[in-house]
Amino acid sequence: MTRTCTVAPLVVAFLLLCAHAQAQTPADAATAAFKDDVHAGAGLACASCHTAAGAGAYQTPRAAIAPLCATCHSDATYMRRFDPQVRVDQFLQYQSSTHGKRMASGEARVATCSDCHGAHGVRRVSDPRSPVAPLNVTTTCARCHGDSARMQPFGRTATPPADWSASVHAAALLTRGDASAPTCTACHGSHGATPPGVTSVANVCAQCHLREAELFRASPKKDIFDAIGQAECLVCHGNHRIESPADHWVGLQEGAVCTQCHDQASDSAKTIGGMRDGLERLSTAVSAAEALLARAEYAGMLVDEGRLALREARERQVQSRVLVHAFADEPFTTTATGGMASARQAREAGEAAMRELQVRRLGLAVTTLLLVAFLVTLGLKIRSLPDGPS
Amino acid sequence: MMAPRFRPWLEERLPLADAIEALRHKTVPQHRHSLWYYFGGMTLFLFGLQVGTGALLLLYYRPSAAEAYESVQFIVARVPFGWLVRSIHAWSANLMVASAFAHLFSVLFLHAYRRPRELTWVSGVLLLLLTLAFGFTGYLLPWNEISFFATRVGTDIAATVPLVGRGLVRFLRGGNDVSGATLTRLFGFHVAILPAIATALVALHLLLIQRHGMSVPPSVEERAGQDPAAVRSLPFLPHFLLRDLFAWTTTLALLAGLSTFYPWELGVKADPFAAAPAGIRPEWYFLWAFETLKYVPATVAGIEGELLAVAVMGAGAIGVLLLPFFAGHTPPARRVVVWVGIIALGFMTVMTALALTGTAP
Repeated sequence: MTRTCTVAPLVVAFLLLCAHAQAQTPADAATAAFKDDVHAGAGLACASCHTAAGAGAYQTPRAAIAPLCATCHSDATYMRRFDPQVRVDQFLQYQSSTHGKRMASGEARVATCSDCHGAHGVRRVSDPRSPVAPLNVTTTCARCHGDSARMQPFGRTATPPADWSASVHAAALLTRGDASAPTCTACHGSHGATPPGVTSVANVCAQCHLREAELFRASPKKDIFDAIGQAECLVCHGNHRIESPADHWVGLQEGAVCTQCHDQASDSAKTIGGMRDGLERLSTAVSAAEALLARAEYAGMLVDEGRLALREARERQVQSRVLVHAFADEPFTTTATGGMASARQAREAGEAAMRELQVRRLGLAVTTLLLVAFLVTLGLKIRSLPDGPS
Repeated sequence: MMAPRFRPWLEERLPLADAIEALRHKTVPQHRHSLWYYFGGMTLFLFGLQVGTGALLLLYYRPSAAEAYESVQFIVARVPFGWLVRSIHAWSANLMVASAFAHLFSVLFLHAYRRPRELTWVSGVLLLLLTLAFGFTGYLLPWNEISFFATRVGTDIAATVPLVGRGLVRFLRGGNDVSGATLTRLFGFHVAILPAIATALVALHLLLIQRHGMSVPPSVEERAGQDPAAVRSLPFLPHFLLRDLFAWTTTLALLAGLSTFYPWELGVKADPFAAAPAGIRPEWYFLWAFETLKYVPATVAGIEGELLAVAVMGAGAIGVLLLPFFAGHTPPARRVVVWVGIIALGFMTVMTALALTGTAP
C-alpha cells in the first residue's frame, strides 16, 4: 500500500511530462510566442504571413523572409494605419547592407529580419525585452559576429563584440546605464548594416564627437590623412575597443599614440611636447586643488568659491583635451593657461580656508585658556566663600 | 568718581537697593538633589545666548526664498565671525532644548510642581513648548533641502486634526504648500511673536520662582524632619550665582569647541520642484514623535491611525501641562507620577534611538 502511494505520483508526473513534451511542437511553440508578438497586438494572425496552404506551408525560405516582411513594412499606406510616423525604408536599407547584398547573391547564412527581431515573438525596439533594444542589440549581433566558426567562411574576425565590451562606450551603456551610448548599430547602421569604411568613419564618430571632428577637419592633419588613406579617428583611438583617452596618450614618450608617426626629430615635436606638458601640469594642479579643498571641507570650512574655480579649471581641462584635436599650439595653450589660472584660484581658496581654520583653532585655544583661567578663579572664589546661612 | 554719585542718582529712581537686599537674603536649599537646580539657570543662559546671537544674525539674514540661503552662506563665508555666531546659535538652540527637557524631568521627578508652585510648572511647560516652536520655526530659515522637506512633513501632520486640520496647515504654510510665504511666516513667528510670548513667560516664571523659592523634594523634607542637617541653605548671592556662572562658562567653552570643530552645516539650497531626498527627518527632539507615527497602523478601531497618535500626543501634552491639578500628593500617587515619567522618558529615548539608527517598522 505504502509503495503504491509512493510510485503513483511519480507515474502521474511522468505521464504529464510526456504529454507536455508532445504538446511542444514547433507550431505550438510559435503559436505560444506569437501571443506576445507586436503583430498579434495589431490584429494580425498566422495566415497574414503564412499564406500558402498545405504541407510545409510554415517553412519560409530564408531568402524570402525579408521580402515577406517588406510586403507590409515597405507599404506606407498600410503601415500608416498603425503608426502615422512609422518608417518604411527598412527593406531598401537591408538591400544596401552587406547582409542584404550577400543574401541577394544566394548566401542564405547571412542575417535577415527574423535573425535580429525574432520570428513569432517580435517586440517593438522600445521594449527593453526586444533583442534589438539598446541594452540587447550587441548581444544579438554577437550571436553571429562573436562566433568565429560563423565568421571564418566570410573572412571576418569574431573579436568586435568582445572588443566593444571593453570599450568606453560599453561602460557608458552597461555601467552608467546611458541608453544613448553607441552600440553596433550606432556606427554600422541597423537594417543597412555595413562597415563605415576609411573615408566615412570620421563622419560616423562626428555624430556625437562634433567638436573634435570640427577641430580635426580644420587642422593640417585632415589633408595628410586623406592623402595617405588613414581612417582619421581610428588611427589614435582604434575602432571597437575604444578606451577612455588619457593625457599620456599625447607626447613622444613610450606608449604615446603620437609616436606612431612622430619622433623627437620631427617638426611637430615642440608642439606635441608643449601639449603634453600643458595637460600634465593642468592635471596636477587640478588634483592638488581638489585635495586641498576636500581637506578644508572635511575640517568644516566653506569653500564654495574654491569649488567654483575648480569647476572652471575642470571645464578648461576638458576643453584642452578636446583642443588637442586641432594639432596646433593655439587655442590649446590659451585654454590650458586659463585652466591653470582657475586651478591656482581654487588652490588659493583652499589655502585661505586652511589658514582661517588655523586662526579659528588658535582663537579657540586662547578662548579656552581664558575660560579655564576664569573657571579656576571662579572655583577658588567659590571655595573661599564662607558657608553662609545653613 | 562717577560711581559714588551715579548710584544714589539711580537708587532715587529705581528700587535698586531693595532688589539687592532681596537677593542678599534669598537662599537656595542645599541637599543631595541640588544639582538639578542648575538646569533652570542653564536654560535661561542658553535662551540669552539665543537672543544675542539671533540678533546678530538678523543684521545680515534675509527672509525670502530667493535670498535666505545665500544670506546665510554670506554670513558663514564672508561676515567676520559669522560662522561662529551662526554655529553658536544652532548649537546653543539644541543644548537649550536638551537643558529644558532635563529641567522639566528633574522638576517632575522631584515633585517640584506641587502646591503652591502649580503656575510655575504651567509657565515652565509652556516655555518648553515655546522652545520646541522656536526650533520648528527656525529650522526652515536657512532654506536648505533638508529643512524644506522636513517642514513639509512636519506641517502635514497638522492636517490630521479634524475639521480645522487643512486650515491649520494653510495658516502655518501661508498657502497650500511650503513656499517663500512659509519662510517669511515662520521667520515672523521665530523673531517676533514667539520671543514676545517667551519673554513674558520667562518673566512670569522667574517672578513665581522668586515668590515661592526653590522647592525641596518631599523625600528630603521627610529626612529633614528627622535630621535637620539633611537640608542646608546656600545664599543665592554670591554662592549660588557663582556656581551658576561656573556652569555657564563651562557651557560657553563647550559651545566654542563644538562651533570650531563641528560647524553647523548649511547643506544644499532647497528646490521646491525637486523630489524629496532620502533620509528626511526633523531635528532630534522631534524624532521620537516622528518615529512613533511610523509605527502606528493606518487605522485603529476604525479611526485613522495618524489622527489617533496626534490626539494621544496632544492629550499627553495637556496632561503634562495640567499635571499639578490632578496628580495626588500622597507617597503612592507620587510614585505613580515617577513611574509614568520614567515610562515616558524611556519611550522617547527608545523611539529617538530607533529613528537615529534607521530601524524602520
